[in-house]
Amino acid sequence: MAPVNQIHDCHPPISPSGLYWVVPVPAGGLSVSPDGNTFTLEMRNVAVVDQPRWPALDSIATPARMTFKMVWKSTGEPIKIEDPSKHFRFTGTRAACQMEAQIEVPSISFSWKSDPLETSTCDFAIIGDEVNGRYYDT
Amino acid sequence: MNPLSTLGVARSRREILKSSALALLPFAIPLRSRASQDQPPMTANGGADPYPIPWLDKNGSHNQPAGPTLEPSHIYHFKGRVARSSTFSGTGTDTQGNRIAFGTATTDYGVMQGEYWAARAAQQGTFTHI
Repeated sequence: MAPVNQIHDCHPPISPSGLYWVVPVPAGGLSVSPDGNTFTLEMRNVAVVDQPRWPALDSIATPARMTFKMVWKSTGEPIKIEDPSKHFRFTGTRAACQMEAQIEVPSISFSWKSDPLETSTCDFAIIGDEVNGRYYDT
Repeated sequence: MNPLSTLGVARSRREILKSSALALLPFAIPLRSRASQDQPPMTANGGADPYPIPWLDKNGSHNQPAGPTLEPSHIYHFKGRVARSSTFSGTGTDTQGNRIAFGTATTDYGVMQGEYWAARAAQQGTFTHI
């Protein structure tokens, strides 16, 4: 349920296969520190849609663009999540994550830019390795 | 002498045209075969895009909410690095100078990098859920 004061909701379209708000990351978009403890994801002008009334089925989707940078830093606290019935296993650590973003909706001349990355907060974050599906039992 | 009546059966001009059209067919088929041979050979193994997670969320979508007991990846038949985060909050400024907050309890992001299975073969890729 979207908050009543929500005025924009930007995300990629759901693909015909059902893949949900997932887009490819160009080469170099994700960098991982040598020790594996910091992930930095940076993308520019990602084609998204603005659906202010999401998740209403008749929510109009207006073409938009999103530029963002997101940084995960491991806290070192281990975490393992596994569900054999769903064939997935994740092993990694909890993390802190911050982001900065910029949104443009050209057709309504709307743009918005977040404050710098350091000013954002996130309640839940993890980084690590996962296997699922056909790789779960191998 | 009327050549159309030499076989003893009178034929109209339309019947003759039909016969001519059928007579051309055997010649037309080889031409079409040659055209299809010019096309590059193709496979039919499905697309190389990743498969979604099979399970449905409460909205009937292949979406995975983020949480300490929930699957981090958004793609199936996958092995590799994953990062996941949710419940962001922050503030920004729009074109008019209005201060607008962002983030809700379901504002979640993720990134997946590694091997995944699609088109009947192992693929390599990096994907983000945003």
